[in-house]
Amino acid sequence: MDLTYLLELSVNGALAGLMYSLVAMGIVLIYKSSSVPNLAQGSLVMLGAYIVLAFSNGLGAPMWMAIPLAMAFMFFAGMGIERLALRRLAGRPIVMILMMTLGLDIFLRAGAMTIWGGSGRPMRIGISDDPLFLGPLLLNRAYVVGAAVTLVLFAVFVLFFRTRRGVVLRAISDDYMASWSVGISVERGVALSWALASVVATTAGVLWGSIQSVDQSLSTLLLKGITVGVLGGLDSLGGAILAGILLGVLESVASGYLDKLLGGGSRDLVVAAVLILTIMIRPHGLFGRHDIERI
Amino acid sequence: MTATPTQVPDEAGDEVLTLNNVEVIYDRIALAIKGVSVQVPRGGMIALLGANGAGKSTMLKAVSGLLAAERGLVTRGEVCFMGEDIGGLAPQRRVKMGIVQVLEGRRVFEHLTPDENLVAASAIHGSRHDMARNRDMVYTYFPRLRERRAAAAGYLSGGEQQMLAIGRALMTQPKLLMLDEPSLGLAPFLVAEIFDIVRRINREEGLSVLLVEQNAVAALEVVSHGYLMDNGRIVMHDSAEAMKKNPDIQQFYLGGAEGRNFHDIKHYSRRKRWLS
Amino acid sequence: MLFRQAGIFHTDYAADRAMFPIPLDRWMVGVLLALGLAAPWVFSSLALTSYVMPWLIWAAAALGLNLILGWAGQFHFGYAAIMGIGAYTAVHGVRAGIPWEIAVVLGGLMATVVGIVFAFAALRVKGLYLALSTLALQFVMDWVISHVPAISGGVSATLQAPTLRLLGQQVTSEAGLYYVALGWCLFVTVFMLNLRRTALGRALVAVREKDFAAAVIGVQSFYYKLVAFATSSFIGGVSGAILVFTFYHAVTPEQFSVNVSIELLAMVIVGGLASIIGSYFGAAFILLLPGQINQLVAWTAKLMGADIGVETLAHIPQMVYGALIIGVLLVEPMGLGKLYANVRNYLLVWPFGYARK
Ligand SMILES: Nc1ncnc2c1ncn2[C@@H]1O[C@H](COP(=O)(O)OP(=O)(O)O)[C@@H](O)[C@H]1O
Ligand SMILES: [Mg+2]
Repeated sequence: MDLTYLLELSVNGALAGLMYSLVAMGIVLIYKSSSVPNLAQGSLVMLGAYIVLAFSNGLGAPMWMAIPLAMAFMFFAGMGIERLALRRLAGRPIVMILMMTLGLDIFLRAGAMTIWGGSGRPMRIGISDDPLFLGPLLLNRAYVVGAAVTLVLFAVFVLFFRTRRGVVLRAISDDYMASWSVGISVERGVALSWALASVVATTAGVLWGSIQSVDQSLSTLLLKGITVGVLGGLDSLGGAILAGILLGVLESVASGYLDKLLGGGSRDLVVAAVLILTIMIRPHGLFGRHDIERI
Repeated sequence: MTATPTQVPDEAGDEVLTLNNVEVIYDRIALAIKGVSVQVPRGGMIALLGANGAGKSTMLKAVSGLLAAERGLVTRGEVCFMGEDIGGLAPQRRVKMGIVQVLEGRRVFEHLTPDENLVAASAIHGSRHDMARNRDMVYTYFPRLRERRAAAAGYLSGGEQQMLAIGRALMTQPKLLMLDEPSLGLAPFLVAEIFDIVRRINREEGLSVLLVEQNAVAALEVVSHGYLMDNGRIVMHDSAEAMKKNPDIQQFYLGGAEGRNFHDIKHYSRRKRWLS
Repeated sequence: MLFRQAGIFHTDYAADRAMFPIPLDRWMVGVLLALGLAAPWVFSSLALTSYVMPWLIWAAAALGLNLILGWAGQFHFGYAAIMGIGAYTAVHGVRAGIPWEIAVVLGGLMATVVGIVFAFAALRVKGLYLALSTLALQFVMDWVISHVPAISGGVSATLQAPTLRLLGQQVTSEAGLYYVALGWCLFVTVFMLNLRRTALGRALVAVREKDFAAAVIGVQSFYYKLVAFATSSFIGGVSGAILVFTFYHAVTPEQFSVNVSIELLAMVIVGGLASIIGSYFGAAFILLLPGQINQLVAWTAKLMGADIGVETLAHIPQMVYGALIIGVLLVEPMGLGKLYANVRNYLLVWPFGYARK
């Protein structure tokens, strides 16, 4: 078939995939520190977007101010969620923890709909609709911006995990008991990871919101996010980046060709298939760690 | 109480740590230690000996505050650190006060390098200068660690991991260092090396040490006094010299069971428990 | 209402292991059963067909899910898909001229087969990964059902269910449909009550608590997990079929979408893991409470003269439903069934509270 078409699908897919990575990064941050698979991450993305709109449309703040304000708000919201809902369940069977995050997901989504209504709202962050050509390839400008932001954020996190506080977070994800034994406040670390994940979610909400408009469908990014997370390894940020690109390319190319055959909707099928296959073949994902076995 | 020390060295008034008649219950049902009283003199080095399941780790966790994480509770008695009752404090608070426990089985942060292990343990709000100084101190005591500072700690050898665990504890600038079975699974020469270093730290830094061991031979070489715990109670407290000579200790913990077969020993042990 | 243990002396093991060892339980069950039978005369037609009957069927389905989740401790995020398979199979079967009873059983069997295939694929992993793989399978099922016209019934994706014929007799009256639902629900309940007392039930609990420890004492954990998946899939399939024949009267893919799977999970969690009576509570809460609260909100708003938008009102039930899950998990993670058990245990020895162990 047409090579340019294939290339165009791949590149745009990779860019969109990096934006899935953004959702996955939030999931990874929380999973790394507390082994909680956060099924409410999609709703956090949605909530973040609504909060930005609340600051900009509701209170009239300009976008460049509304976004940081919303991030700060979500930082504390994430902490609050951990404190009020998750901490009590520490040590409980995983089914209850999963159910709690699902309950949060339902509650946040319906809560946002109750407050802001079901119709989509535009998020304007000043990305023009003009086509962007890379040689013969037509790129989606919004995806380019989103992918760039994701990579920057990833770099920030890589650096952060080298700082003292970052090292402490990694220590917590290694061993709770040992962390307590040297005076690390595990609770505070876990709360911080929720806060950071919520900030990342806000970023994702802004970017995805500007592409598709802000409504409850933003929360369905969860499926993509968790698939990317699992594929990359739920405790690996770098894995999330690579897996995002991989899934994005796969999804875009496969649906580019399959949709004509199957009559649409093959995107979700690809995602579900990747999720199942990953779990069957390599449940720890591409870069997830098995515990080190010393030789 | 039932715990009747045979001979208490009389240094009352200058203890870093005093346990008074402490009782610990796990899960609200399992009684693990039953009225334990132990004292660690300031700047001293004390051993707590006892077989598997005697309650040694439980006692340490009662001091470091890690019991809560295992659903254990101090139900009676008091734990005093430098004369202050620390019963209700969170582990972080106790570490800040100067109590640190090196967990059984080393428990280093496997995916972090030794360097990062040490950084993680230094108080977040402490100064960078302190951290660098403490790290240098650790590396001076444990030069082997410096050589391997950039490898993932999970790949260090058992001895190196134990050194790292101790070094990590030192980063918290403790006044009382509690070691839980540091000799576990290590070759005898390594045990001797590590114990020597701990002894040096004890002398040079003025750090009080509470050494929990099953390996009584090695432990009694480096401490001044020892406690013997059995079945949740302290059954003996004496100077290291006296303990080494004690026939009971020789019998059960120093491997000097000549002339008695296993059956006799078990029988004797049973009688001993009955008495205590 | 007093549960008393005093004066109850069991003289043989059979009495001790009876389904309801305490007379008051037996009385209560009797009364509930009588109420169940008399329901068509007790409740209004609306309450019967739109609340009581679906409640019973959902409770049966929740019991089926509870079998895997509560007893065997294995996740299933795709239970609605299993129910859907039962429903579609049965509807297609009846449309093809198979007698109703056989078609429904066929639906159950088809669900079992798919459930076992699910299980073979999914049971190689545990915990979160099992949850995610069943969730993914749910999506695949959704997709297959809605994208294959032969299954979903053409463009509009609605498939009319033929009338229910029990033993050749047409059942169309409200009471008749209700009794079919009641019968199925009772059947499942009795099965689950007995499961607790069998070797199978105990093996499942052993597998739940620690599968490799169970393996050490000779419980073949994979086999039992498979049995649990198969049994509960059968229950789910038949429940799905009965739901369509008595309640929906037509089958569409949305009736068995991922949201329904989550709703079922919520019923089990809110009701309480491994609690039979809890499954009834859970189904009732998840089905009824959100709507009731919504009416309450609307009513209060009207009373206070506040003006609440239609859109706002429309989303309140969902919010209540989410809050319900969160609230139950925070207050009593073992669910309403546990709360009931607490009250019952308290009354059993009242006023001698200290006699409890
Ligand atoms: N987390 C726990 N829950 C319940 N019981 C425990 C727990 N930890 C230890 N125990 C029990 O307490 C007793 C003392 O254990 P421990 O303090 O670990 O002994 P030691 O360190 O001397 O080997 C043992 O009987 C053990 O079974
Ligand atoms: Mg121990």
